[in-house]
Amino acid sequence: MSEQLPEVLESVFREIPNLVFEQQGPRRLRVKLRADALPALLELLKGRAGYLHLSAISCVDWPQLNEFELVYHLWSYEVKNLVSAHIYIPKKPGRYVSVYDLYIPAAFFERDIHEMFGVFFEGSPSMEPFILTEWYGPPPMLKSFSTLGYVEETFGWQEYSPEWLSSVNSVQ
Amino acid sequence: MTTSQTISIKSDPSTDIACRTVDQKERSLLRKVIDRIADRCRSRSLFILHYCTGCGAIELPPTITSRFDSERLGIQPMVTPRQADILLITGYLSIKTLKRVILSYEQMPGPKYVIGMGSCTINGGMYWHSYATIKRLQEYLPVDMYMAGCMPRPEAIQQGFLQLIDNIDKGRANAWQEYYCNYDYYLGNQQALFGPDWHTPTDVIAEAQHYQLFSENTLGEHTALLAKFASEYVTQPIPTKVLQREEIVE
Ligand code: SF4
Repeated sequence: MSEQLPEVLESVFREIPNLVFEQQGPRRLRVKLRADALPALLELLKGRAGYLHLSAISCVDWPQLNEFELVYHLWSYEVKNLVSAHIYIPKKPGRYVSVYDLYIPAAFFERDIHEMFGVFFEGSPSMEPFILTEWYGPPPMLKSFSTLGYVEETFGWQEYSPEWLSSVNSVQ
Repeated sequence: MTTSQTISIKSDPSTDIACRTVDQKERSLLRKVIDRIADRCRSRSLFILHYCTGCGAIELPPTITSRFDSERLGIQPMVTPRQADILLITGYLSIKTLKRVILSYEQMPGPKYVIGMGSCTINGGMYWHSYATIKRLQEYLPVDMYMAGCMPRPEAIQQGFLQLIDNIDKGRANAWQEYYCNYDYYLGNQQALFGPDWHTPTDVIAEAQHYQLFSENTLGEHTALLAKFASEYVTQPIPTKVLQREEIVE
């Protein structure tokens, strides 16, 4: 597998302890590492391998593990390779450090994750409400949030019971 | 500071279905004939404000342009609410876009017609269990017509347009009057989503008086919350009861 791995990346990965990676395609690398090592990895990738583009940070809620998974997607215009760095943080207290000082666009991604999942990023410039309007409920993307329950409470349904429908139902 | 007139609210038995006071002159035959002619003229030239945040918007270009050519029916697109007759909602509305729709709707001059296009406006469509989209459009705006389908094809939209033209022609498309007659109901539903501080720059209550559509349901507990936004420029007619209550608080 590692025969396709560019040399710069190999030298970067060697510096991070407990790092596991998996080649998912000619231009895709999935990297798993300890949460506290992520800022170091990003700094190395940016400095040595030209990973200047943080295209997204995504978050996954794992209710059984009681953990959040954060995925940092990075692209290098030199190596032409996408690195997805996966870390796990405990749900409580649900805090992590911001990477805003390395990647300015992280401010938006972190603010979005804070709004949708409730993860707090220390050092992020703004953790204020972002795109939800008039939202007073819990973070809506959590698995524990029941969208249907919320809808039933907030909205009403249209009545629709035409005659033909009752005749269909009575046949069954 | 508040230059508001007070209105005595009492139900008047001499009103018709549209809550208009029955005016002998208005009831005259000549008046009816004029109304019929006006309705007919109106139905021949309609401008749509297409509110295209839903995916159904993709069916509008073929409907309006040369393929199906709704201009044959006298229906043309218009880009501003103040020059439009029809507000065409082409699909799901999130709570955020609903706000903008209401602002646009209130700027349109009467008579105005609202078409809810696609299942999303009827019952949430495939977003039925989404926390962010509204389910029934007619709770927030009076809707003249729904076009079911996800999304309705241009033929169905044309059919709907023809039906609306017919309704206008026959004087049956009067949903817009509901907004003024029952403003308190609509405002209440809007406040339930946007919070008690929700208000629009349009002076709907004054407009209701202007159109002679002021009724006992125009004002109520929900419109009373608008009192704190009345200003020199927006004259919200405040019922005396509310004014007295405010004075007591101060
Ligand atoms: S009804 Fe269907 S096509 Fe229309 S907005 Fe909803 S999902 Fe999209």
